[in-house]
Amino acid sequence: MAIQPVLIEGPNGPLFAIHHPPAENAPERGDLIYVPPFAEEMNQARRMAAMQARRLVHAGYGVLLLDPAGTGDSGGDFADARWDGWLEDIAAGLDWLEGRGRPLAGLWGLRLGGLLAVAAARANPARVPRLLLWQPVTSGRTFLNQFLRLRVAAGLSGDGERETTATLRAALAAGEPVEIAGYPLAPALAAAIEGADLTVPPPEACAVAWLDMVASPDSPPPPASARTIAAWREAGVSVAHRTVVGEPF
Amino acid sequence: MATIDDMKAILRDTLQLGDRASNFDASTPLFGSLPELDSMAVVTLITAIEERFDIMVEDDEISAEVFETVGSLTDFVAGKLAA
Repeated sequence: MAIQPVLIEGPNGPLFAIHHPPAENAPERGDLIYVPPFAEEMNQARRMAAMQARRLVHAGYGVLLLDPAGTGDSGGDFADARWDGWLEDIAAGLDWLEGRGRPLAGLWGLRLGGLLAVAAARANPARVPRLLLWQPVTSGRTFLNQFLRLRVAAGLSGDGERETTATLRAALAAGEPVEIAGYPLAPALAAAIEGADLTVPPPEACAVAWLDMVASPDSPPPPASARTIAAWREAGVSVAHRTVVGEPF
Repeated sequence: MATIDDMKAILRDTLQLGDRASNFDASTPLFGSLPELDSMAVVTLITAIEERFDIMVEDDEISAEVFETVGSLTDFVAGKLAA
């Protein structure tokens, strides 16, 4: 079976996805839906996601690499993309797999995609048996700040009036979209990201594998991850946590 | 707790300095002296510090003084952790 580009009818427009069927001689493990990271991180991670998908296929997992609305090759503009819309897109991915008779192995989320995947697991209880989280964003607020900072940094060497994350946040609060590194960030999307975090755990029935990348074998895992995982375990969620040594991508 | 060694490791990894960072000490000058530390790198560095120490750095805390030396940066982070 070959890798297949597919168009999924999403509630917010057509969604582009690439389906990697599992290798035929491998044990059948079901399909994972990949939830990509945000904005430029999505492009930077493309190659790694594709390589991982190929490895997963050999292990018997199918992989659906999904472009949420307004991103990648899916329909819609980034400026119109919404958090809840993205959750609906993930549900459309779940429906698509179900319609094809493909059992779901779980959701695989990278960075903000991890945060979205957890939210999707909570929004679709009993449908998501497993979460594979790569370097998940634990705090949407911190993440948004770091994203806004890209524009602040771009202005640091200029002569114009210095922007700050505060002035950018004020613009968003006033209902103005703000362009960051070429991405038009809508106030509603910014607000949703800011309000999202991993304090509420996924459903107990969901098994979690959490991977953090670290620079060297003696680097500790990010404390925010350790804290979140401890809280989730306290709540009865099973979490397998590993650090992976590697270069950032 | 934030130590000089923690800062050296973050600087080495974020700015890809390799072995050069092992010779750093508290008095080693950073912003303005280290060619790799341009404004974009400052953003990356702040993000790395935020992740590593689980703190949030506000805009008005980002000044040339904080990034003057390895020591001043360490003191800044230690101060945030103690708060």
